[in-house]
Amino acid sequence: MEAIDSSAELELYTIPAQSSWFLWDDIHEIERREFEEFFSESSITRTPKVYKEYRDFIINKFREDTSRRLTFTSIRKFLVGDVNLLQKVFLFLDKWGLINFSPSLNDNDTLSSVDNAKVEQGTPAGIRVTATPNSLRPITAPPLVEQRTVSGVKLPPLTSYSDVFSDSKKPDDVLLCGHCAERCDSAFYQHNKSIVNICEKCFKNGSYGGENNAADDFKLVGDSAAALWTEEETLLLLESVLKHGDDWELIAQSVSTKSRLDCISKLIELPFGEFLMGSTSGRLSSAVPTEDEDTEQVKTDVQEHEETETREENEDEDGPPAKRKRVALISDSDSSLMKQVATMASKVGPSVATAAAKAAIAALCDEASCPKEIFDTGDYTDSTVDRADGDKDTEMEEQREEKDGPQGLPVALRIRASVATALGAAAAQAKILADQEEREMEDLAATVIDQQLKKVQSKLKFLDQLELIMDAEEEVIEGGKETILQERISVLQCAFRSGVTKRWDHTYVK
Amino acid sequence: MKALGSSGWKGPVKFRMPTAENLVPIRLDIQSEGQRYKDAFTWNPSDPDNEVVVFAKRTVKDLKLPSAFITQIAQSIQSQLSDFRAYEGQDMYTGEKIIPIKLDLRVNHTLIKDQFLWDLNNFESDPEEFARTLCKDLGVEDPEVGPAVAFAIREQLYEIATQSVASAKESRLSKKSRRGSDHGSASKASGLSMDLVKLFSFKSSVVRKRKDLDVYEPVVDLLTSEEVDALEAREERHAR
Repeated sequence: MEAIDSSAELELYTIPAQSSWFLWDDIHEIERREFEEFFSESSITRTPKVYKEYRDFIINKFREDTSRRLTFTSIRKFLVGDVNLLQKVFLFLDKWGLINFSPSLNDNDTLSSVDNAKVEQGTPAGIRVTATPNSLRPITAPPLVEQRTVSGVKLPPLTSYSDVFSDSKKPDDVLLCGHCAERCDSAFYQHNKSIVNICEKCFKNGSYGGENNAADDFKLVGDSAAALWTEEETLLLLESVLKHGDDWELIAQSVSTKSRLDCISKLIELPFGEFLMGSTSGRLSSAVPTEDEDTEQVKTDVQEHEETETREENEDEDGPPAKRKRVALISDSDSSLMKQVATMASKVGPSVATAAAKAAIAALCDEASCPKEIFDTGDYTDSTVDRADGDKDTEMEEQREEKDGPQGLPVALRIRASVATALGAAAAQAKILADQEEREMEDLAATVIDQQLKKVQSKLKFLDQLELIMDAEEEVIEGGKETILQERISVLQCAFRSGVTKRWDHTYVK
Repeated sequence: MKALGSSGWKGPVKFRMPTAENLVPIRLDIQSEGQRYKDAFTWNPSDPDNEVVVFAKRTVKDLKLPSAFITQIAQSIQSQLSDFRAYEGQDMYTGEKIIPIKLDLRVNHTLIKDQFLWDLNNFESDPEEFARTLCKDLGVEDPEVGPAVAFAIREQLYEIATQSVASAKESRLSKKSRRGSDHGSASKASGLSMDLVKLFSFKSSVVRKRKDLDVYEPVVDLLTSEEVDALEAREERHAR
């Protein structure tokens, strides 16, 4: 909300955006309106020059020390003139933020009238904080600190993503059956016209309670058991998706408690679910059994995001899978970079990413003049060792350091490789986007041309019709002409027969 | 002067307090039965007259004064009000009158000295607002200071206004043709008015000269109780 205004001394002052109309050299319309008395030439003490002097003096005085609040009394002694008028100018400048605009200066008013700043901790009443079972970590609303002073900065939410889909489900609403007054654990039936709910059992028994007799009036609402996804189930789901790809029957089987549709809907809801589906459907069955087990270890990484995406890249790269694995287990300081690499790799298709990786590796190897083979470490021994070590990152590091020796694959090189891959992937993505844009542009141009053609064609059609009409009319007129001629002839004949004078004949002879 | 005539002349206005609110400053100083009641406040002349008695009664009751005060208070207020009303029908010239207002007053423990310019022609002026700003900016905590300052300003304005009426009458009587603004009307103002012409012309600046700065600066002193007592004693002696 700040605009930069350079004063005559070429220092930069920031002023609030709403006062950016102000100019040193001129008197703005706003000022003229406010201070008509200066501009109406009604008195010698009120002229535009005087106003400008007052204004400039006050602003300059303020800018001598922008951190302190300028008071009217401190400047009034400097200026000759009616103090009421001066105060009016002063208040005007204050209101428009040309003086006393720093946030710290505005405390004075509030502090004098209100002694304590109100600090609210915890969540405000409007936000309900629940640990929704859909996420692996609970969503906490940020502690809002409200003060009378200006800051009013709201802290961003602490979660890495916002769980949009969980709002619609209310897992903690306990529904009681209207009839047997027990909890409706799974599905419940809701009456169309009233708000009575009855549980499944009651519905099956046919005891609807009270006047609600027609079975048709009830509709099945929500399957609360199916809506709750525990962590294990989510994990199972993800694993089975990776394993089985599109085969939802198998997935539903492995995630035993959830139906096929539930699995699909849950997967869509997960933030990366679609990527997963896309990647798995394009994936060849080069799935190595060990990779699944790797995912188990990887899952203990910091965030679910990263975890799934590293898993993804495990799946996505047909190229050097083992290298990827190890790269994924690099210590935390690199994890952000890996995340970026993972994101980019997941965005482009698998083949593109592998091509990028290969190209990057080739380039790096040319640079470092080391054989490419060191990257081809696709051996199961690594993975078994990794697996055996269990879930501790530190042990992973040890492993990695051990591997450093025999493999001679320094961390730096790997990092460079991954960065290069990422860049390659990004470049590929960019090219794809550019191509898309071009195609779109061509499309649009074609559409425009089409439209123009259509316009011309319809115009032509219109003209054709017009021509037809004209032709028809011409014929009619021709016909008219003929008849007139005929009539004239008959009239002449009559005239001749009745012996009309010559003069009359002449007029009709052309 | 000719140039001024074309731009600055204003016709006479009906007498009133040249402030946004037409309030009359009333000063009371009544002594009776060994007790002395001193007060100063502003009164709205458009209030009905019976309010005066009501006010007097309430004041006596609040301050626990002997009831003889009621009539005296009421009388005093009434006479000042009627003085004010006597001026009301008449004309005054307020033209280009920017006058210096001086403050030199003591309110409980606070001593204020100040001087500033006030435009008599500015009918939107507000002494109370000015007093509020003054107290706020100078950090004066005593809540009685503000109203006292406002009262002092009003008193001076009232006096100038009555002078203006007198001089307007006088000038009409003497049948002087008044062209241009009334720079000569109030003797106090005339000197300053000359300066005004110079000050507000194109050549000079409205920023005050350094030598005058001290005069126009507000000074607030906080006195100790002994000093207050000493001052009060001196005032009593002067009054007698």
